[in-house]
Amino acid sequence: MKVNEYVRAASLKEAYSLKKSSPKNKILGGGLWLKKGNGEVDKLIDLSRLGLDQIKEEKDYVSVGAMVTQRAFETSLIIKKIGGGVLSDAVHQIMGPAFRNSATIGGSVYGKYGFSDVITALLGFKVDLVFYPEEVVSLDEYVKKPGFADGILTEVRIYKSSAKSFFKKVKMTALDYPILNVCVTKDKDYRIVVGSRPLVAYLCEGAMKYLNEGGKDVDQAVELATQELKLGDSMSAKGEYRSHLARVYLKRALEEVK
Amino acid sequence: MEVKFNLNGLDVVYHVKPGEYLLDSLRANGVKSVKKGCNASACGACTVLVDGKPTLSCSVLTASIEGKKVMTVESIQEEAAELSEYFAKEGADQCGYCSASLALVVHALKEENPHPTRQEITDYLVGNLCRCTGLQSQGNAVEKYLGGKK
Ligand SMILES: Cc1cc2nc3c(=O)[nH]c(=O)nc-3n(C[C@H](O)[C@H](O)[C@H](O)COP(=O)(O)OP(=O)(O)OC[C@H]3O[C@@H](n4cnc5c(N)ncnc54)[C@H](O)[C@@H]3O)c2cc1C
Ligand code: FES
Ligand code: FES
Repeated sequence: MKVNEYVRAASLKEAYSLKKSSPKNKILGGGLWLKKGNGEVDKLIDLSRLGLDQIKEEKDYVSVGAMVTQRAFETSLIIKKIGGGVLSDAVHQIMGPAFRNSATIGGSVYGKYGFSDVITALLGFKVDLVFYPEEVVSLDEYVKKPGFADGILTEVRIYKSSAKSFFKKVKMTALDYPILNVCVTKDKDYRIVVGSRPLVAYLCEGAMKYLNEGGKDVDQAVELATQELKLGDSMSAKGEYRSHLARVYLKRALEEVK
Repeated sequence: MEVKFNLNGLDVVYHVKPGEYLLDSLRANGVKSVKKGCNASACGACTVLVDGKPTLSCSVLTASIEGKKVMTVESIQEEAAELSEYFAKEGADQCGYCSASLALVVHALKEENPHPTRQEITDYLVGNLCRCTGLQSQGNAVEKYLGGKK
């Protein structure tokens, strides 16, 4: 990555106006994904002085600043309380601690990576994304919309939940990207998520509707979920194999959380 | 651009390019104990401690460490020498390319969690790949080293 100028933003206003002024200006999270790009960045905008690295417990939700690192997230006692600790568990499985000490929650969510364990796990809960200036979008909507937000992601709001939860990352080696990831939670309602399809995570709304309207047959729910899922080929696995994995882990998940 | 930080207890000023990574800045300034393995955030050979936390120096821009404390293996020489005895006994050390980064990671683990379980040791070391030995023998060495410290 070639960078022409490194700017330590003094305010969100400054960061946003720089971001808007050129598509070659980029926000810096942990920079791990940005490093993979070969392009030229004109102004790289550092948000580290804006206090976005806090995890705070509010009445109904937990506020996670965009610059919170994956490691701070995974080890936070506040995060461990959500859904029996499934979010910590999912993030803990990404690379090693030195990696997670830099990678940020903001960079992980904003980038909408197809393989993302972070997005799959978060989609198991009601989550809002707060962008500067003045926009709140649910994570459900954000992943469905094509493209990326125009604003700066400042906060990820995770609504408190004591849902029974299941997360599985299927991978070939300890440091691998997932071949498939699955998150299923049940609070009042079920939420069923499959990611690394290899496209971005998908909420299986047909199967959720069936269960949330009183359907009891786990095999029927798995059938509905696999019918609506689009699973494709990638270097790590064929769609057919992903489909087999999805059936196995969705069944296991639904039996575990019911 | 100018970046001021603390390296192994000394305040330093580095003159770097805006897109320069900490690994390259350290090596250009003579700190050759920090190794380049994959240069792709995947092997851990370049690990240093930034404000006490293991950090991949190949993936962190030098500009972003302004005002922070960076530790390389030079700052824990005695501890690294003691640890290497345990590594040698367990066959967990051969060419030594990964050793400096591992010593820093073990130092950070000890600070964060002085009595880790075997699983916690594995989880802490998993990002530091060793092409000569492996996590099993390294885990044995660290378990004995930290156990001996109890
Ligand atoms: C080798 C490697 C292996 C990985 N393996 C996995 C894995 O197994 N599972 C997994 O889930 N993830 C994995 N990831 C992805 C990783 O977990 C992070 O999600 C990713 O690196 C992005 O986080 P970052 O902080 O590094 O973002 P950056 O690289 O800093 O930014 C990513 C993008 O988001 C933009 N951005 C960052 N923050 C904001 C913000 N606040 N507002 C607006 N835009 C913003 C940046 O401009 C950039 O376009 C891997 C990444 C690498 C490099
Ligand atoms: S050289 Fe930095 S992780 Fe491999
Ligand atoms: S001893 Fe050779 S890479 Fe670890």
